[in-house]
Amino acid sequence: MNKIRILHMYADLLDLYGDSGNMEIISYRCRMRGIECEIDQYSIGSPKPDFSSYDILYIGGGADIEQQRISDDLIKYRAEIEEAYKNGIFMFLVCGGFQLMGKHYRDTNGKDIPELGLFDYYTVAETDRKKKCVGDIAIRTEFTGKTLDIVGFENHSGQTHNVKTPLGEVLNGNGNTTQGKNEGYFEKNVIATYMHGPCLAKNPEISDYIIGYCVNRNNDIPTELAPIDDTIEKNCRQIMIDRLMNN
Amino acid sequence: MNTILILIGKIIVAVLRLFKRNAGNLPGIVLWHLTRGKCCKMFKINCPIIAITGTNGKSSVTSCIAQLFEQNGKKIIINREGNNLDTGFCSLLLRYCTLGGKVDADYVVFETDESYVPVIYSQLKLDTLVVLNFFRDQLDRNGEMETLIQKINGFCKSFEGNLILNGDDPNTARLGRANPNNKNVKYFHAKPYAFATDTIFEASEGRFCPFCGETLEYDYYQYSHIGKFICKKCGFGNHEPYITAENIDLEKSVFTADGHEYSPKINSIYNIYNMTAVAATAKLYDIPQKVTHNVISNHIINNGRMETFMLGDRKTTLNLAKNPVGANMTLRVMNEMQTDKELLFVLNDKLADGIDVSWIWDINFSEFDRVHKVVTSGIRAYDIAVRIKYAGYPADKIIVCPDLDEAVAELAKTEGRKFVIANYTAVAPTRSALIKYAENHGGKNE
Repeated sequence: MNKIRILHMYADLLDLYGDSGNMEIISYRCRMRGIECEIDQYSIGSPKPDFSSYDILYIGGGADIEQQRISDDLIKYRAEIEEAYKNGIFMFLVCGGFQLMGKHYRDTNGKDIPELGLFDYYTVAETDRKKKCVGDIAIRTEFTGKTLDIVGFENHSGQTHNVKTPLGEVLNGNGNTTQGKNEGYFEKNVIATYMHGPCLAKNPEISDYIIGYCVNRNNDIPTELAPIDDTIEKNCRQIMIDRLMNN
Repeated sequence: MNTILILIGKIIVAVLRLFKRNAGNLPGIVLWHLTRGKCCKMFKINCPIIAITGTNGKSSVTSCIAQLFEQNGKKIIINREGNNLDTGFCSLLLRYCTLGGKVDADYVVFETDESYVPVIYSQLKLDTLVVLNFFRDQLDRNGEMETLIQKINGFCKSFEGNLILNGDDPNTARLGRANPNNKNVKYFHAKPYAFATDTIFEASEGRFCPFCGETLEYDYYQYSHIGKFICKKCGFGNHEPYITAENIDLEKSVFTADGHEYSPKINSIYNIYNMTAVAATAKLYDIPQKVTHNVISNHIINNGRMETFMLGDRKTTLNLAKNPVGANMTLRVMNEMQTDKELLFVLNDKLADGIDVSWIWDINFSEFDRVHKVVTSGIRAYDIAVRIKYAGYPADKIIVCPDLDEAVAELAKTEGRKFVIANYTAVAPTRSALIKYAENHGGKNE
């Protein structure tokens, strides 16, 4: 396959802490390897997208007030998104996007607002400002098959519980819950995380995992991606890891 | 009680000054606690207070407005050091007031942090509020921009004084509708300049009408979301201009407003807007035209805001960027200049900067016109290098030098016009490094 098609949902409403930069990074890393990459945007009011025609579905994070509007809109496509997921579309979800795919969001009044319900985790609003999860975070992952430490910037008050297959284990920072042990959610075709920054900036391995997955989605014989010189990114990450671990 | 509090405050100011310590904020903090948060209420100010707020350009506009009055022979009080919260205002007033709290001046001109407008001016009567613009700035510290606008909007609902608003910024102009009974709302505008665009070029806020939710339509964009906008559904944007900058020619550095020609020293569309706000204030307070002309034509600030240095024989412009709009501004000026150039970007992430640096991803690096080298420095030198790389700039032309002196030497080593962008806590050390280099290599701070 020499073309990857991405559906970037709610880019105008969900774009905190450089989340849209993730798209710039994926298309750059495709371009460097001669893989064509096409990004379509969908937002409230756009015509209904054909979810089955995409390789990646991407949703970023945003303010709480926007999220209610978005979940009302997103829920209309529940069946189509579930089908695309079962057919192997890659779902890359950051912060708000992560929460939206869960079972429900329990607001500050204790009321459960239903979310898309694709995965069985759920998020509870946290009103205690002291419990807000803000700052740089480092986590240890195994999703590439090797131990890999990655970093990002988290800023959320929602507490996400019942995550059975997290993306990684928190080395320094909060993760899914305040002072939590785990961060994000992972399946072979799902990476959900609270990490902004944007998330892919210092973690080229995540981009390449996603691109590699898409390239090989319908291949019998897996092809390797051509290497890219990631010295700047890796130095950048190492400096942050050293700083966090020496805290 | 008031007298005792003021006496305490004055003693703290005197002691701090005796030990040559900065008395810009601490006295106010002490009184803030003693007055349970109402530290500005102790003062009796009978002269007009003019407050300047907005994301970018506050210092410049505050300084110019103060000069309008000063050069017109008036006695003014101004917060030049930029302590722009209630505690800073209190500390400043302590230096000028009697023990009874009476403040002696003809005008008080106060640069005010956006989120402190309601806090301070619920305690003291405000004559004029000048609002320049609202952009994303240090999100993790200030909360979201909408919250900020809501706070000021709440204040404006009962405010009946003069409101001078940027009529080309929908986020700012909307404040003009907060109080329908306020007859003193005045909008400033600017006609399109040579680099205005039909479509949006940089990350922006407020694409939708704040009143009816319709997408705003633009005749032109000057930069970011600043431009001539209109809501076709409810008419938001059809306000009458109080003053308009016209015939903007950045090559000659001239513009006209109300039929007068000005030739500002700082040559950018951002400065045109700032100076139009100054001209609007001058018009409101009947400042003689000669004074206004003088102030607008001679305004420069030597604090790393479009400041010029000579590194040997290489002309270098340093500009502060606290947010994407500030950085885009320097990049715009750089790209518009028809010569070979090099860029140094210094990025820190100290508390005052906002600990998150992802705002650099909202900077538009997509167009680098004749830029032959990029040097990056500061605590987050690698982060800004990664950002520029992914914008498509050749990675082999990016040189990471976390050490500032090395970075300046690297920049100065090759030919070309130099531009330096530094964020908040990076500006002062960057200035020092540039001055040091200039001193050692035969240059100067112009």
